[in-house]
Amino acid sequence: MHKNLFSTFLLSLFCLIVLGLSLRGAEGNPTDSSINQAHWKNNGPFELSPERGRFALTYSLVEDKSFQFSDNIGKFASPDVAVHNGKFVSLFAPLLSFLTIPGYVFGKYFGISQVGTFATISFFAILNVILIKLISIRLGANRITAAIASAVFLFATPAFAYAVNLYQHHASTFLILLSIYALLKSKKAWPLVVVFFSCAAAISLDYPNLFFMFPLGAYAISRIISIGKLKKNFFVKINLFKAFTPFVMIIPILFFLWFNHVSYGNFFQLSGTLQTEKNLDKPEDLPSFSTLQTREKEKAIAKKTAVGFFNARNILNGFYVHFVSSGRGLIYYTPVILFGIAGMILAIKKKVAMMPLLSGIIGANILLYSMWGDPWGGWAFGSRYLIPSYAILSIFIALFLTYWNKKILLLIVFLIATFYSIAVNALGAITTSAIPPQPEVLNLEKISGAVQKYTYVRNWDFLLSGNTKSFIYETFLNNYLSSVAFYLILTVSICFFVGAIIIYYYLNLHRKGEENV
Amino acid sequence: MFNFRTGELSINISENNRAISFIRKFLSKYVIQIILFFLILVSSFSFFIFYQNGLGLSYNDARSHLDIGRRVVEGLKPGIAQLGSVWLPLPHILMIPTVWNDFMWHSGLSGALESMISFVVTALIIYSFLKELKVGFVGRLTGVVIFSVNLNVLYLQSTAMTELLLVMTMTAGVYYLMLWSKNENILNLIKSAFFVMLSTLVRYDGWFLFLFSVFLIIVEVLRKRGYKTTEGIVILYSTLAGFGVVLWLLWNLLIFKDPLYFIFGPFSAYIQQEQLQLAGNLATKGNLLLSIKIYLYSVAYNCNAFIAMLGLIGAIVLCVDRKIKTSVKIAVSALLAPLIFNILSLYLGQSVLFIQGLSGNTWFNVRYGIVMMPAIAIFVGYLLHKMNQFKLVLIGLMVFVLFFSFVNLDAVTIDDARVGSSQKNVSEVSGWLRSNAKNKPGFVLISAASHDAIIFSSGLPMSKFIHEGTGEYWDLATASPNLWARWIVMRTNDLNDSTFKLVRKTKAYRDGNYKLINHYSFADIYEIKEEYVQNLNMKPILGKQK
Repeated sequence: MHKNLFSTFLLSLFCLIVLGLSLRGAEGNPTDSSINQAHWKNNGPFELSPERGRFALTYSLVEDKSFQFSDNIGKFASPDVAVHNGKFVSLFAPLLSFLTIPGYVFGKYFGISQVGTFATISFFAILNVILIKLISIRLGANRITAAIASAVFLFATPAFAYAVNLYQHHASTFLILLSIYALLKSKKAWPLVVVFFSCAAAISLDYPNLFFMFPLGAYAISRIISIGKLKKNFFVKINLFKAFTPFVMIIPILFFLWFNHVSYGNFFQLSGTLQTEKNLDKPEDLPSFSTLQTREKEKAIAKKTAVGFFNARNILNGFYVHFVSSGRGLIYYTPVILFGIAGMILAIKKKVAMMPLLSGIIGANILLYSMWGDPWGGWAFGSRYLIPSYAILSIFIALFLTYWNKKILLLIVFLIATFYSIAVNALGAITTSAIPPQPEVLNLEKISGAVQKYTYVRNWDFLLSGNTKSFIYETFLNNYLSSVAFYLILTVSICFFVGAIIIYYYLNLHRKGEENV
Repeated sequence: MFNFRTGELSINISENNRAISFIRKFLSKYVIQIILFFLILVSSFSFFIFYQNGLGLSYNDARSHLDIGRRVVEGLKPGIAQLGSVWLPLPHILMIPTVWNDFMWHSGLSGALESMISFVVTALIIYSFLKELKVGFVGRLTGVVIFSVNLNVLYLQSTAMTELLLVMTMTAGVYYLMLWSKNENILNLIKSAFFVMLSTLVRYDGWFLFLFSVFLIIVEVLRKRGYKTTEGIVILYSTLAGFGVVLWLLWNLLIFKDPLYFIFGPFSAYIQQEQLQLAGNLATKGNLLLSIKIYLYSVAYNCNAFIAMLGLIGAIVLCVDRKIKTSVKIAVSALLAPLIFNILSLYLGQSVLFIQGLSGNTWFNVRYGIVMMPAIAIFVGYLLHKMNQFKLVLIGLMVFVLFFSFVNLDAVTIDDARVGSSQKNVSEVSGWLRSNAKNKPGFVLISAASHDAIIFSSGLPMSKFIHEGTGEYWDLATASPNLWARWIVMRTNDLNDSTFKLVRKTKAYRDGNYKLINHYSFADIYEIKEEYVQNLNMKPILGKQK
C-alpha cells in the first residue's frame, strides 16, 4: 500500500515537473485593452480560437462579472463568438471556463493569469495519470506497468500537448476515467452518484461528451435495474436506493440551463447552433485565417441541426485522418498506442472486467469523431479528439506489458515506439498546436506564397527558428539554453524516466524468476 | 419482493407462467409473420415518402425501365419485342401486369412494386440464412434490421431500379446453395439454380454468380464424390441456372439477328464504355488497385463504412469458425460473387463507377455497391452471434452510426440520382411537350435510346411517340419527317442521337420545314411550320405491324 502510494507520488511529481516546464504562457496579466495584441494571440499563448474562446469567458466572468463579452474580448474570442441582444457571447460549452477560474485568480495574483488558467488543465492531466494507474491495477495490471502506461498516456500521446493548453480534452477524460474507476472500486450506490454526476457535467464541458458518457450511464443503469433469467425464472431487480442516484444529474443540468439562459436568453439554446459573428473576424495571420475557414464550414453544416455536424459518410475519411494520415494519424504521432490495441485483444481473451464498457467508450469516441465534418480538429497537433481513447488504450498497454512481460524483444520494440512517441509529442507540447489540416494547405500556400507543412515537421521548424510556447523557457531559460537544447533535455528526461521504469520492471521480473528457480 | 436491507425490489416470474409461455409460444410461432408485417410497413412507408417528395423517379434509368415495360403494352407498336436488348428482360416482364395503368406507370409504382417485394423477401432470406447458420434470434434480427434500415436500400426499393430484384434473386440462389451444401438435398440445388437463373435475367452480375456457383459446386462435389457425380450435378444445375443466359442469346438472335447484340449493339454498355474511354473517363480499366478502391468505396458509402467493416470481420470469423462445415463455408462464399464481379468489370472496362472525390466531382452508378448489403448483413449477424459479451456494445455502436445516417439523410444513391451523372433533369423539355403537345394531334419523333426520360416525364401516352421501336413508323418518319412528325426532339449535331443522325439528311429538315422551339440542356425541340401541318399523318394508320 505504502509502496503504491509512494510510486504514485513519484510519478505525479515527475509529471508535475515536466508539465511545469512545458506549460504555456507569458509574463503578465492580459487586460481588456492589451488582450488583442499579437503578444497574447498568435505570437503568444493564445494562438488558436478554441483556447481564446474559453479564456475569454473565464476573463469576462472574473474581471467583468459578466457572461457577455466586451468589444475587445469579443474580438479576442473571434471567430468563436455570437451576438445575442447586441452583446458578444461565447460559442463554447461553458464548464471548462468555470473550472479554470481558481487557476486564473491564483495566477493573476502572481502576475501570470493565463499560466494559472492553463495549469488547471495540467492538474486534470495529472489526475488522469493517477486514475489510469489505479484503473490498470484494478483490472489486473502490475503496478509498475500501470505506472509505465500512465506515463505513456501523458507524454507519448497528443495528450501531452493538450495538458499544457486550454482545451477540454483532459477534463472530459477525467470524468470518463473517474466514472470507470468508481464503477470498478465499488458496487455500492456512491459510484453511481459519481457516474451520473459526471455524465451530466460532461455535457456542459463539451457537447459530444454526451455520446462517450452514454455507455457509462447505461452501465450504471444496469446496476440499478437488472433483467435476466435464473434457472427457470425470469427476474427483474430494481435497487430502489440506487434508483435515486440519477437525481444527482439535476445539479449540472441546472447549471447548464442557467448558463444558456443568461448567455443566450433560452434555456435550451446550444451554443454550437448559434451563428458565428463574422464581421469581427479579420484574418490577421495564417492561423486565424484557417480557423475562420474551418469554422465557416462547420457553421454551414450546423445551420441544419446540432447533430448535422456528424455524417456517417465521413467515417472512411475520419478513420484515415485519425489513424494513418501523416497530418494527424495515430501511427505517425503515437505508434506506441498500437500496443494498447494489442493489449485490448489480449484483455478480451482474458475476459478482463468491464471490457464491453471500455470498448464501447473507445468505439463511440472513434466513430463520433470519424463522422465529424472536421476530423482534423481544425488547426491542431495530432488527433486531439481521440485523447479519451488514448487514455483507455493506455490502460490496455499496462495489461499488455503485464501479460507479455517475458518477451524481451517485444519490450525493446515497445521502448523504441515509446521513445519515438515521446519525442514527437514533447515537440507538440512545447511548440505550437497550430498545424493546418492537409486539405487547407494548398489554399494556404496560394495565399502565403510559401510551402506549408501539415505534420509535426512544422513543430520542428518552429523549434529550429528559436521559438517555444513554454512559459518557463521563455521567461527564465531563454538566455541560457537554445530552444532545441531545451527540447532535447526535456525529451531525454522523459525517455530516461520511462525507460528506467521499463528496465527496472524487466530486471525485477528477471530477479523474481531466478528466485523462483 | 422487497429487501429492506439492500433496498432491492425483485420480481420473479416462472418460465412456466401462463402469460410468459403464451408470449413465448406466440413469438416463436409467428416471428416470421411479425417481421413480415414490419417489413411491409417499412417498405410501404418508404415508397410513400419517396413518392411524395418526387425522388422515386430521380434516376434516369428508373424512368427508362418504366418506359420499356409500358411499350410492351402501349404504343404505336406494342409487343414483347419492345423488351429490347439494352437491359435484361425480367424487371420489365414483371412490370407488364401493372404498367398498363397510367398511375402505376407514372408514379413508378409498377417498377417499385417488384423492388418492394424483393426488399421484403431479401430481408426474410437474411433471417432464414442466419437461422440456418445457427445464429440466435438477436443476431438474426440484427441482420434483418441492418439490411432493412439502410437508407440506400430503402431508397432503391422505392424506385423502379433493378438492384433489389437482383439482390433478392442472388441472395435466394446462394441461400439454397448453402442449404444444399448442408443437407445435400437435390431439391435445394434445383431451387438455387432457379433463383440464379432469374438473376441472370436481371443483371449481368447474375451471369457471374452462375459461373461462380458452378465453380463452387465443382469444388464441393469433386472434393466429396469424385468426377462422375460432379459431372452429373453440374449438368443438372447448369441446365436450369444457365437457361436464362441461353434464352437471352436466343432472344438476341431472333429479334436482332445477332446472339451477341446485347454486347456489341449500338446501345450496349460496351459502346458506351468505349466512348467514355475515348473521353478519358474510364480510369479503372486496366488498373486493378483503383478498381478495388473505387468499388470498396462504393460498398462503404452504400452499406455504411462501419457496418461494412463489421461485415468483413464477421466474414473472417465465419471463415475460421470450426463449427461451420467446410462445404457450408464454400457455399456461403458465393455471397462475395458481386464483389468479385464488380471489381473485375471495372478492371476490364466493362462497367463504370464514379465516386465523388476519387473520380472528379460527380457520382455515377455508385449504387452498384448496394448488392453487397445482404452479404454484409449476414456476416454482421453472424459476428454478433459470436460476440457474446460484446453484443450490446456492437448493437449500440451500430445504432449510434445509423442514427446519424438517418438524421442527416445520408444516402449516396439519392445524391447519385439527384446530382450525379445518373440523373437527368429533363423537366424543361418534358414540360414544354406536356404543355404544347398534349392537346394537339400529331406525333413526336424522338430517340428512346437517348431520351426515354423525356418520354416518361412528358406524361404523354406512349402512342404519341415515334421511336426506334415503332418499326415502320420510325423508318417512314426518319425518311420523311414532314409527313409524320409534328415535333422532333433531338440533340442537334450529335450523331449519337439516332433521330438527328437520320433526320439531318432529309429534305424537310434541310429545307427548314421545322422551326426550332428552343435549345435545352439535354435536347432541342423542333415543331413543323404551320404551312406543312396539313400534310401530316396524325393517326396511327399503319395498323398492326409484325
